[in-house]
Amino acid sequence: MSTRDPGILQGTLDLMVLRTLETMGPQHGFGLAKRIQQISGRALDLNQGTLYPALLRLEQRGWIESRWGTSDANRKAKFYHLTRAGRKQIARESQDWERTVALMERFLRPAG
Amino acid sequence: MRMFWRRLTGLLRGSRLERELNEEIGIHLAMQEEEFRQRGMEPAAARAAALREFGGVAQAKEDYRDRRGVPWLESAARDLRYGLRGLRRTPGFTVAAVLSLALGIGANTAIFSLFHTLMLRLLPVEKPHELVSLYPTGGRFDGYVSYPLFQEIAKRGDLFTGVIARTPVSKTRFATRPGARGQFCQREFVSGNYFTVLGVAPALGRLFTEDDNRTPGGHPIAVLSYDLWHNRYGADPAILGAKILVDEQPFTVIGVAGAGFHGVQVERRAEVWVPAMMAGMKFTDPRTHWLWVVARRRPEVSPRQIQAALDVLMAQHLKAVYPSTYNAAIRQKALGQRLEVREGSVGLSVLREEFGRPLTVMMVAVGLVLLAACANVANLLLARGAARQKEVALRLSLGATRARLVRQALTESILLVVAGGALGVWLAAWGQRAVIQFLPESSGNPFGAALDTTVLLFTLGITALSALLFGVGPALRSTAVDPAAGLRAGSMGQGGSPLLRRVLVVAQVAFSVVLVGLAALFGHNLFALRSVDLGFRNQNVVAFTVDFPRGMRSEIRTPSRQLAEQLQTLPGVFSVSYGFPGPFLMGFAGASIRVPGSERTAHEPGYVDEAHIAPRYFETIGTPLVLGRELERNDMTGPRQVAVVNEAFVREFLPGEKHPDSRTFSFDDSKPEGGEPTFIVGVVRDVRHAGIQKPVKPTVYVAIDQGQNSGLPTMLVRTQAPPNALLAPIYRELRRLGPSVAIGDIRTLRQQVDDSIYEQRLLAALGAFFGTLALVLAAVGLYGVVAYGTARRTGEIGLRIALGAPRAQVVWMIMRDSLILVALGLALGLPAALAGARAVESVLFGIQPADPFTFAATAALLAAIGAAAAFLPARRASRLDPSQVLRNE
Repeated sequence: MSTRDPGILQGTLDLMVLRTLETMGPQHGFGLAKRIQQISGRALDLNQGTLYPALLRLEQRGWIESRWGTSDANRKAKFYHLTRAGRKQIARESQDWERTVALMERFLRPAG
Repeated sequence: MRMFWRRLTGLLRGSRLERELNEEIGIHLAMQEEEFRQRGMEPAAARAAALREFGGVAQAKEDYRDRRGVPWLESAARDLRYGLRGLRRTPGFTVAAVLSLALGIGANTAIFSLFHTLMLRLLPVEKPHELVSLYPTGGRFDGYVSYPLFQEIAKRGDLFTGVIARTPVSKTRFATRPGARGQFCQREFVSGNYFTVLGVAPALGRLFTEDDNRTPGGHPIAVLSYDLWHNRYGADPAILGAKILVDEQPFTVIGVAGAGFHGVQVERRAEVWVPAMMAGMKFTDPRTHWLWVVARRRPEVSPRQIQAALDVLMAQHLKAVYPSTYNAAIRQKALGQRLEVREGSVGLSVLREEFGRPLTVMMVAVGLVLLAACANVANLLLARGAARQKEVALRLSLGATRARLVRQALTESILLVVAGGALGVWLAAWGQRAVIQFLPESSGNPFGAALDTTVLLFTLGITALSALLFGVGPALRSTAVDPAAGLRAGSMGQGGSPLLRRVLVVAQVAFSVVLVGLAALFGHNLFALRSVDLGFRNQNVVAFTVDFPRGMRSEIRTPSRQLAEQLQTLPGVFSVSYGFPGPFLMGFAGASIRVPGSERTAHEPGYVDEAHIAPRYFETIGTPLVLGRELERNDMTGPRQVAVVNEAFVREFLPGEKHPDSRTFSFDDSKPEGGEPTFIVGVVRDVRHAGIQKPVKPTVYVAIDQGQNSGLPTMLVRTQAPPNALLAPIYRELRRLGPSVAIGDIRTLRQQVDDSIYEQRLLAALGAFFGTLALVLAAVGLYGVVAYGTARRTGEIGLRIALGAPRAQVVWMIMRDSLILVALGLALGLPAALAGARAVESVLFGIQPADPFTFAATAALLAAIGAAAAFLPARRASRLDPSQVLRNE
């Protein structure tokens, strides 16, 4: 009954979006979706639609901003770019993430 | 917080964002589609693939919307609309629920605001918790203290930081300046340290000091209340040093007390304060009791320590005032007096002394009314939930979460309770006015003008509590549905948790047993009071005291007689008389007499009540003469002193005497045979002049014009016309008598009697109202449960009838169901009602708390209600056509 996609943690998608915007600069929604799918190498079965609520969430938190512009194919599109707060958030979340990974590794590495 | 604002603005800009989102998703799909086409797909296939890749478009939009606005607010708004729609669809249910909540909440607000004012509200003074009231009990003048005793208490600096004395606030003649039109004001005589000890600051000028209260009659100064200064002088600062008239004496205004201070008496707001030395009392007489004492205790001294110290002080004081040479009986009673230390932080109140306990019981009773109302609404909600089971099952299977449905159900409850609460506050204001109607004029208005914030908070609190009480259970119950089973079960559903509903109904019955029991008790009590023979039959007699101005008080006999003669000529007037004091609850003078030839006064004098009356007195009030005649014109001035006595007099002093009207008594009590005789000319029926509940004492009625000037007389006018029509002519006649002759306390004797038992009348009226309310609620609840239970058993009943069960048996089967519920309710409620009755014993007269009539009547009434509630469903069941029922199965 739940509408949430259990395959992907909310926080991870946020971080992926932020990270993609950081490396690639301003992007529209379709570009972001494609890039995330590319990088995850189909390991992630992402419904592109779930991206938009995430983008809204990030915008509401003030980590990204959006502006209407024109795409390479000369199409009107909404472009998202990182804010300064967004960059700080990446740093913070990366650290958290690394800490979590390091911690989990200790549990998962075979003892001895 | 910022996030919240963005969401909120998102909510407001909803439609624009919605358009943008559509556009954005459109672009996204177009881009994807184009990419797929470039990879060589057919346009149609590319479009489908793009949509697939995107996932659910509608779902994404919905998620987006959820993020965009403030979800709970948005869905709350939706729930609200849904709730309103639902309530509109079932107007009967809505009206029943809102009305029962409104009555419950209204009753609680009204009674609580009275309770709060009398029992809880702190005085607006410095550190109110240090204040104690010193209240004498056990004597003839409970509450009042003499000036010498006050001075003794005031010396105890080891116990108190300050001790103040004051008189009860009383209505007095008043003029804003000499020569101005006469008005009335509420005056309080106070000791010099009154404002200092209470810690009240002046708004203007200065307040009294000890030096303002030293010599009797020597301090013609006054302090005004802030409200009086505002209302009658427009807050003019020039009032300082101005002269005002209080009781026709000039006083100089020296200051205005701080805003919000109205003295220390809860139900009477003082407007003018005058030094106690101006009261014209006997300041040195320890047997003149006229002051209430309030003290500020030292913080380190506990009330218990003060009580111990005062017990000693009081014992010594009484021994000195009543030496052993004193009349033994009086002395013994006097020595039993005690000075009680009472909490003073909530102010003093005559009303609280009389009414505190019944009011507390009433507060509990209205709490029960609210509980009964909540049980009723919960029951209605459950019944409704059962009817909606199919809808709930459908919504659950369509993917609604249970939490969402619970929230929706609760929203509905909140709507009900908000409507009920709003209506309840309005009803409370109306109820307050109704309660004030019952209070005699002399008890003032304890409510004050504005609704207190504490009271409003209380209302809010009980409103929220009731929503919780009646809302949560049914909300959880009615959404606990297995979707599949619910859909299959058809419209009837499998039931609205019959057990819970039965428990609720039993609770309702129990609550109403308590309320009906109290109502019956108060009703029986009032009936007992009303059946007492007061000794006078004509209750439609207008009675008023004539307040002669100071200049005329030295000789009031002639003007009194003139007034009576003038009133006699008014159309519709049967007879006019007057007396001092009046016939009912106007106080009585005492006299010490000897009755020649009576055993009773052979060794020591006898005590009688004494009244002064004019001719036709007993004819006017309708007191039958038992023997002889009443006083006549000639008796008033004749040389022979004559008197009428009551039956109690004969019983006490002349038992067995066949001709008391041939005997005499004497006011000269110095020797056993008396001195100058007063001839008894008649005997009248006993008049309960001291109140319905007080026994009648031996009383002598002497001619009002004989001997010395009496006090201000009470005029008695027996009329054919409605008493109100008489007011204007009475005032006209008074003006002819003199410009400043005033009327005090104009009421009919019936009103005086009613006012004297206002507590019992108020309790009976409130009890009847709440009892009826609770009965109706219980009947509705019982009917609902029985009707529902019967409907569920239709098949079974049809089968029974088909198998030959007599219809009477069917009826009984269903009635029994209801009666069992009533019996359970009675078993729970009767002990509680009895406990309540014990708590109000002080207002009962002539009946016991365990009054058999009351409890038999209550049980019978409830049983009747139970039978009546079950009658319709039972009749319906007994008329079932078995063939039809069984075909439907």
